[in-house]
Amino acid sequence: MMAPRFRPWLEERLPLADAIEALRHKTVPQHRHSLWYYFGGMTLFLFGLQVGTGALLLLYYRPSAAEAYESVQFIVARVPFGWLVRSIHAWSANLMVASAFAHLFSVLFLHAYRRPRELTWVSGVLLLLLTLAFGFTGYLLPWNEISFFATRVGTDIAATVPLVGRGLVRFLRGGNDVSGATLTRLFGFHVAILPAIATALVALHLLLIQRHGMSVPPSVEERAGQDPAAVRSLPFLPHFLLRDLFAWTTTLALLAGLSTFYPWELGVKADPFAAAPAGIRPEWYFLWAFETLKYVPATVAGIEGELLAVAVMGAGAIGVLLLPFFAGHTPPARRVVVWVGIIALGFMTVMTALALTGTAP
Amino acid sequence: MTRTCTVAPLVVAFLLLCAHAQAQTPADAATAAFKDDVHAGAGLACASCHTAAGAGAYQTPRAAIAPLCATCHSDATYMRRFDPQVRVDQFLQYQSSTHGKRMASGEARVATCSDCHGAHGVRRVSDPRSPVAPLNVTTTCARCHGDSARMQPFGRTATPPADWSASVHAAALLTRGDASAPTCTACHGSHGATPPGVTSVANVCAQCHLREAELFRASPKKDIFDAIGQAECLVCHGNHRIESPADHWVGLQEGAVCTQCHDQASDSAKTIGGMRDGLERLSTAVSAAEALLARAEYAGMLVDEGRLALREARERQVQSRVLVHAFADEPFTTTATGGMASARQAREAGEAAMRELQVRRLGLAVTTLLLVAFLVTLGLKIRSLPDGPS
Repeated sequence: MMAPRFRPWLEERLPLADAIEALRHKTVPQHRHSLWYYFGGMTLFLFGLQVGTGALLLLYYRPSAAEAYESVQFIVARVPFGWLVRSIHAWSANLMVASAFAHLFSVLFLHAYRRPRELTWVSGVLLLLLTLAFGFTGYLLPWNEISFFATRVGTDIAATVPLVGRGLVRFLRGGNDVSGATLTRLFGFHVAILPAIATALVALHLLLIQRHGMSVPPSVEERAGQDPAAVRSLPFLPHFLLRDLFAWTTTLALLAGLSTFYPWELGVKADPFAAAPAGIRPEWYFLWAFETLKYVPATVAGIEGELLAVAVMGAGAIGVLLLPFFAGHTPPARRVVVWVGIIALGFMTVMTALALTGTAP
Repeated sequence: MTRTCTVAPLVVAFLLLCAHAQAQTPADAATAAFKDDVHAGAGLACASCHTAAGAGAYQTPRAAIAPLCATCHSDATYMRRFDPQVRVDQFLQYQSSTHGKRMASGEARVATCSDCHGAHGVRRVSDPRSPVAPLNVTTTCARCHGDSARMQPFGRTATPPADWSASVHAAALLTRGDASAPTCTACHGSHGATPPGVTSVANVCAQCHLREAELFRASPKKDIFDAIGQAECLVCHGNHRIESPADHWVGLQEGAVCTQCHDQASDSAKTIGGMRDGLERLSTAVSAAEALLARAEYAGMLVDEGRLALREARERQVQSRVLVHAFADEPFTTTATGGMASARQAREAGEAAMRELQVRRLGLAVTTLLLVAFLVTLGLKIRSLPDGPS
C-alpha cells in the first residue's frame, strides 16, 4: 500500500525515473572478449564488501599499540561472527587486489584506454594505486609480528627517494621508527583519508563509464565492419546486471568457504624490541617489487641500486598512468603496448614466484 | 729430462719435510704453543717459569708444578695487577683435593695444574677452546677418569664420564647448549676435586634443585636416610647417570624406584599409590587436552584461553612432580587436583572450539546451499530473458 504512494513522492524529489530510464536504455557490447567486462563490477562489489566489513570491524577495533592486537583477538574469539567478518574483510581485500589487477590488464590488452576514455583509465589506475595503499595501511592494523616488521621494511624503501626520503619516512611512520604513532597514522589513512579519495574516484570512474559506455576492442570493431553480427549488444538492465549478480554471488560463496576453512590468521603480537623473525615479507601483491630490490646491485653506474630500482618503478607507474596520452593508436603501436604489457605481467609473475619459493639471488 | 722434472719436486718436498721434522723439538713446540698462551698475553716469558739454568732446566718435576704455578696464582698482590677480582685460592683448594693429597704423599701420577689447563697453551676458562671450558671439561676429566688402565691402580672404575654422557645433565649441555648444566666440576669441584660423600651429596644437588632439597629436608625421609647412611638423592636418581625422571618411577609396580624400600604391605603404600595415580591421571588429562587444542588450532580455531589453562595445568604437573619429594599426601594432592581442574578447563575450551567449528561448517553448508539455490534461480532467470537489442 505504501509503495504506490511512496514512489510518486520520491520521484517528485529525485530524478528516479530518469535514472531508471537511462539504465533501461543502457546496453553492453557482447562479443568474444565480453567476459573481461565483469572484472570492473567484481572489483566494485569487493570494494563494497570491504566498506561493509570494515565498518563492522570498526565497532570493536582499537587503534593503539597497546590494544590493537588484543582488540582483533577479541573480535575473532568473542564477538559473534567476528571471525567471519574479519576473515571476509582480509580475504576480500586480497581478491579485490587480484580483481583490480585483472581489470587493469584486460583494459590494457583490449585497448579500452583509447580516446575518449583517457580519464576513465587515469581514474582506474589511481584507484588501483589506492587499493594497494589500502592494503599497505591495513596490513599493520592487527599489530602482529609479521606486519610490524614488513611495515618497517616497506616504509624504509621510501628513504631512498632523494632529498625528501627521510621526511617521507617520518611522515609515514609518525616518527623515526614504526611505533604506536605509525599504527594510528596508518589507521587514519585506512579508514578516513583513503576511503574519501576512493569514493570520489569511484564516482568519477562510474560516471565516465556511464558517459562513454563500454569500449569495444579494435579487433572486434574491425571484424564488425565486415560482419555486423560479431558485436551484439546486451541490455544492462536486467541482462548484464543479473550476470554480474551471478558472479558476485559465486564470489560470496567462495569467500564464505575460504573464511571457514582458512580463517585469516592473527599471528603473534608485535614486539618492537624483538629481533626481526626470519621470513618477513609483504603481502603477495608487493612481493614482485620486494623481490626485484633483492636482485638490484648495490650500485649501478655510480647510482645507488635501490634508488635506481625505486626510480624505475616510479617512472613505470607514471608511464602506466599517462599511457593513453602517449600510446599510439595504429595497429603496430597497439602491438607494442600489448607486448610491453605481457613482459610486465610476466616479470611480475616470475618475481612473485621467486619470492614465494624463497629463491634468493 | 722428463724423469728429472718428475723426481726433483719429490726430492725437494722430502728435504723440506725432513727440515720441518727437525725443527719440531719439544722446546720449539712449547715455544709455538706459548705464543697463544694467556701468560704470553700478560707479558710473561719462558724464564718466568723456567728459572733454573743449564741442561734439563725445562723439565719441571710433576710434584713441583702446582707449587710453581702457586708462586704467582696464590700471590694476591701480584695477581691483582692482571685482574683485581681474580681468585688466589686454587693451590689451597688443590692441596685439599684427592689429587693434591695423593701428590703430596708422593703419588706423581695424579692430576696437577698442567694436566687440565695445559702447559704452554693455557687459555682462560671462558675461552671455548680451553680444555676446562664447560663444553670440554668432561672430556678433559675423562682422559684419566675414563681410562680403566689409569684408574685401576687407584681402585676406581672408569665408568663415570660415560655414565655422565648418558645423563640428563649431558643432554642439557650438549644437546640444548645450556652452559649452566652441571659437568664433573659442578658436583666435585675443580681445583679441590673430591667425591662429595654420602652426607654432603644432597647439598651438592641442592645447588640447583633447591625446591626438591627443601621438601626432602622437611620430610620424614630425611631422618631415616641419615640414620641408615643413605646418600639421599642418589638412592632414587643415581649419581653420574642421572636420567630424566618419569612418572612411572613413583609407585609399587615393577620398575618403580619406591620398590627399593617399600612394598604393598608397607605403611606408605596408600600414599605412594595415590601419588602414582595422581601423576598418571594428570599426565593423561594434559596429553588429551593438548591433542584436542592442537586439533582445534589445526582447523583454524583460536583457543588462547584453552592454551592458557593448559599452561597452568602443565605448571601444576611440574609442581606435582617436585612435590613428590615431600613424601606425603599434601601438598601433592591439592596441587595435582588443581592441575586436573586446569587440564579439564583446557579440554572444555578445545571441545567448545570443536563445537563452534561444527557450527561454522554447518552454517557454511546451509549458506552454500542457499547461494547455490540462488545461483540456479538466477541462471534460469538469465536463460529465460529475451535476447534484448542486438
